[in-house]
This record gives sequence, structure tokens and C-alpha cells, in this order.
Amino acid sequence: MKKNAFIKQLAEFCEFSETDFSFDTKLKSIDGYDSMAIMSMIAFVDENFSIKITATQINALSDFNSLMNLLGKEKFEDD
Amino acid sequence: MIDLTGKNILITGASSGLGRAISQTVASQGATVFLSGRNETRLKETLNSLSGVGHFVFPGDIANFSIIEQLTKSIIEKGIKMHGFVHSAGIEKTLPFKSSYPIVFQEIFNTNVFAGFEFARLLSQKNIANTEGASFVFISSVKGKLGAPFNVAYCASKSSLIAGSKAIAMELASKKIRSNCVLPGIVETEMVQGLFTSIPIEVKENIIKEHPLGLGKPEDVAALVAFLLSDEARWITGAEYIIDGGYSIH
Repeated sequence: MKKNAFIKQLAEFCEFSETDFSFDTKLKSIDGYDSMAIMSMIAFVDENFSIKITATQINALSDFNSLMNLLGKEKFEDD
Repeated sequence: MIDLTGKNILITGASSGLGRAISQTVASQGATVFLSGRNETRLKETLNSLSGVGHFVFPGDIANFSIIEQLTKSIIEKGIKMHGFVHSAGIEKTLPFKSSYPIVFQEIFNTNVFAGFEFARLLSQKNIANTEGASFVFISSVKGKLGAPFNVAYCASKSSLIAGSKAIAMELASKKIRSNCVLPGIVETEMVQGLFTSIPIEVKENIIKEHPLGLGKPEDVAALVAFLLSDEARWITGAEYIIDGGYSIH
């Protein structure tokens, strides 16, 4: 999956008020990043990558880059 | 002290958590226990932890309903009459509602609801139900009354158990078969430990805070189930018992 497409689709799924973020956008700085968003991220990752991550893992992430690293860099392509 | 001597009781979900604790409690009170569970190794661990002798294990996934028929058939072939049934098997998926597709409901309902009612249907038949009466106990959840975020399918399944249990109570009263529901709050089981790793920490902390007496232990619930299985509860049917450390007070 292309990195920018991943971020855009994830942001839409989480229903953030905007969907254009950079790779190093701090997750906790996003408007609408709350427990519902965290559960949505877990579901999005499961549905699209068949990877089960936990809220604890997400809480430890800083930005989208760290999320992509968690899922495996090889799963993403540069735009 | 509850006395279950001479009673044959089938318990689903007996390989861990509440099902295991209920098995241990009723065995310690004299019952012969018929253990159903998916994981054969863990089911045998439960068996080895029971007081008394002569208990049975039936490994298999009861979401495959043919397993239920085979299990009850083998009991009938042994000429055994059943006095009690506890449906403790349950699965949970923590998901936002937007990801709760029909297949999620199907999977959860197969184990939590349909398998329980199929057991009850087969165990209520003349060739297997004790003629002097029997007691069915369905392990629902306080979430089946109150709801909970990220648990729509699970809550719906546990609510279904309450309504179904009442209907069974009405229909089978003439056969002296009682049917009741137990609605625990959060009990410290492996399933709950799994839930706690999958939800945000603030949600977990809120859940714990909302139980004035703290989280429950499996044996707290097992004691109530044992009572409902006993003759002491002979006038109780169609009831729903919340046991939640005060969670539902507010």
C-alpha cells in the first residue's frame, strides 16, 4: 500500500476532521484522536493487514511512521 | 452449604475462566460434571482439578452444532439423566460498531447463544432430562442489560440469552425444568485479560473504577450458579441475577 493512501484511508476510517497528514504527524495531536479513534485504528489494521495490534501498542506510538514500522515497512511503498 | 450430590451437570466453556470455576465448585459440592470445551488439554486440566471421580470430558467446538448432538447422544447411550446445564461458553470481540459486520454477529451468536439454546433443547428431552426436574443456567453478562462501547455483538448476544432463558422457563416449567440467567460484571478471567490489552488504558481504568467492590473472581459467580443448580432454588425460574460488585448501581 502507498504510504499516503494508507494515512488518508486510516484517517477517513477514524473519522478525523482532516485526512491530510504527514508521516511524522504526532498521533496525539490530531483533533479527534481518542479511545474511539484507537479502537478504529485497531479494526482498520486488522481488516486491511490481518494484523492484530493492541491499544497498548498504539498508545506507545508517536506518529504515522511508527505505526507503519510496527506493521512492517515492507508493506508500504513510497508515493 | 449447597449439596449437589447425585446430580449430573453439563458445563460448557469448562476449559477456562468461569466455566472452570463453576465446574470446580459444583464438583466440590458432590456433582458429577460433564465438561465441554474447545481446548482438550485445558479441559483435562479442569478435569484433573475437580473433586470426586467419574467426571466426563467432551472436547470440541460447540459452534459446530453437530458436536452438541453427538455429545448428548453419547450421554443418552450411557443411560444417564441430567439434572443441570450451565452455558458458560462465550466469545467476545472488541470492535467499533462500524466494523461489526454480520459475520461478527454470526460468529459470536453461534457460540454465545445458539449453542446454548441447542444444548438446552436437547437436554430438555424426555430421554435425557431428569424426570424429577432439572436446572439450566445461562451465563449472560451485565453488558447484556446495560450495553458497552465496542461490544455491540457481544452485548446483543448476552441480551438474547436473557430473553431466551425466560421463554425456556415458561415453556419447560411443566417438565419441572427451571431456567435462569446470571449476569456477571467484569470477572478476572483470561478473556477479560485479553480484553484489557485490546482497549485504551483510560477505558480499562474506567471499567475498574465503575465496580465499587472491585472486579469479581470466577468463584464469586460460581457460588451463585451452584445455588441455582441446587434444590434450594426449586422455586426460582425465569430470573436474572446481576452479580457485578455494584457496577450496575449507577
